[in-house]
Amino acid sequence: METILSIQQLSKSYGTIQALKNVSFEVPAGSVFGVLGPNGSGKTTLLAILLDVLNADSGHYAWFGGSDATVARKQIGSLLETPNFYHYLSARNNLEITASIKERGKDDIEKVLQQVGLLERQHSLFQTFSLGMKQRLAIANALLGNPKVVLLDEPTNGLDPAGIAEIRGMIKTMSNMGITVIMASHLLDEVEKVCTHVAILKRGELLVSGSVNDVLSSDDRVEIQSEDITSLQTLVQQFPNVSQVTTADGFVYLHGKELNLAQINKQCMEQGIILTHLVHKKKNLETKFMELTQITE
Amino acid sequence: MNLQKNTAPSLRQLLSIEWMKLRHYKAFWMITGFFVLLLPLWNYGISNGVMKLGPGNDLNLVSQSYGFQNVWQNVGFWASIFVIFISILTIIITTNEYQFRTHRQNIMDGWSRLSFYHAKWSLILALSLGTTLYVFIVGTAFGMQYSSLSAFPGNIEYLLYTFILSLNYYGFAFIIALFLKRSGISIGMFFLYSMIIESMLVKYINWQTNSSFGNFLPLQCSDELLPFPIMEMVKGILVGESTSPTATTYACVSIVWIAVYYFVGRWKLLKSDW
Repeated sequence: METILSIQQLSKSYGTIQALKNVSFEVPAGSVFGVLGPNGSGKTTLLAILLDVLNADSGHYAWFGGSDATVARKQIGSLLETPNFYHYLSARNNLEITASIKERGKDDIEKVLQQVGLLERQHSLFQTFSLGMKQRLAIANALLGNPKVVLLDEPTNGLDPAGIAEIRGMIKTMSNMGITVIMASHLLDEVEKVCTHVAILKRGELLVSGSVNDVLSSDDRVEIQSEDITSLQTLVQQFPNVSQVTTADGFVYLHGKELNLAQINKQCMEQGIILTHLVHKKKNLETKFMELTQITE
Repeated sequence: MNLQKNTAPSLRQLLSIEWMKLRHYKAFWMITGFFVLLLPLWNYGISNGVMKLGPGNDLNLVSQSYGFQNVWQNVGFWASIFVIFISILTIIITTNEYQFRTHRQNIMDGWSRLSFYHAKWSLILALSLGTTLYVFIVGTAFGMQYSSLSAFPGNIEYLLYTFILSLNYYGFAFIIALFLKRSGISIGMFFLYSMIIESMLVKYINWQTNSSFGNFLPLQCSDELLPFPIMEMVKGILVGESTSPTATTYACVSIVWIAVYYFVGRWKLLKSDW
């Protein structure tokens, strides 16, 4: 797959605090890429460097295979930290400024305002907007001028549950339109629902990056139970692919890679053990995330 | 689409975007409106003898100073005081960008840092030209009232000095705002420096070095281009030609300071985090 952004060895420190440590990864075209990490893990610093708002101490990045950075940014819609607009201007006037900076026509201003449900308020001053409306306007701003990439930092900040679901829907729509979406968030559930790829940061270090499936399925867990727990335990330890066996609450857990339920069932049956319970517990992002961020504690 | 050439926007494009930021901004209209009203009203008051100068009416300094011969220096001098308002406007416009964080958004949306910087300079240039043009209009109106058109243009080089002075003040205000980022403290510093610190430094340096070096300080060098005209005329009568540096010297020093603001600001914006 074509690479839309490649990041190599980016480092950045604020005084003695190292916000990013040699972070490298690539964002494939057309992906919905989640940058994950707890608060203070360096997500916003990373995105700010990619938008030339902050200067990296070392390392580099390339948009669209090495396009000039300002030309690239004109094709990137972005929302960083807070919605940044002229308070005394109307929503429409604010978007007109962005359109001019992007050197795009003003013809799609109405379209993007419609998309975020602010068309009726287009002539209202930004300072009269609620937090949720400001956030929507920022998303409209990011969608202006048919961007190739949309970069969103905590896009659901300040939105109510309906608003969050709406943003999620919009991210899916953008993705279907072929827009690459890069999104930073600490809300794992949100990321898991929309992202195809993730990079997980902790204290400025990249813990893992790749497609959501790869990141999650590297480690499977199968929960089983039978009448005779002890012989079940002894048996499953000999199974291929099983790296570890644990028990809890009367269940036996198999850990390993690419565990096949049918295979496990068949093997137990052949040894005369009848399973009363067999569930594939795929890890969700949250479990994985907690595990990753705690291991390096 | 790879390796597309970056064609930096022209000053005109940058200025038109700055204008979009300003045209619906009330403070902009209030402050420029104040300047636009104050300059002619003040001069009208003085030309009508609100301020009595000289003994009786024997020496009609006022009508002399509003004829085409001296009107540019005269209106220019008062403008050199009222440019404080436009300097404050420059500070507010700049600190607004920091307050609203639109300085970041402009970059994120596709300007280079240098484009952002040049956009503001294009605005400062436009404000300076506007100030000069307005002094020209007001000066012409008074000149036609107090002298015949045949006396036009008179000492019109003072119009050029007005332009240099405006550029110096607005550029200085811009750099202060760029470094301090907050409107209150920037305006405070601007007043403190222009009204108190610099006048003290000028006197101190001139006294210590027994020279006019103090007059070369950032704002003073431009103030020297537009001295209080009636006082100058009186001084000319009383002491004859002075030995202080020429207007050309002060103009050159002012331009050097403006260049210093430009390069210091540029260095600061390109190297720092936003």
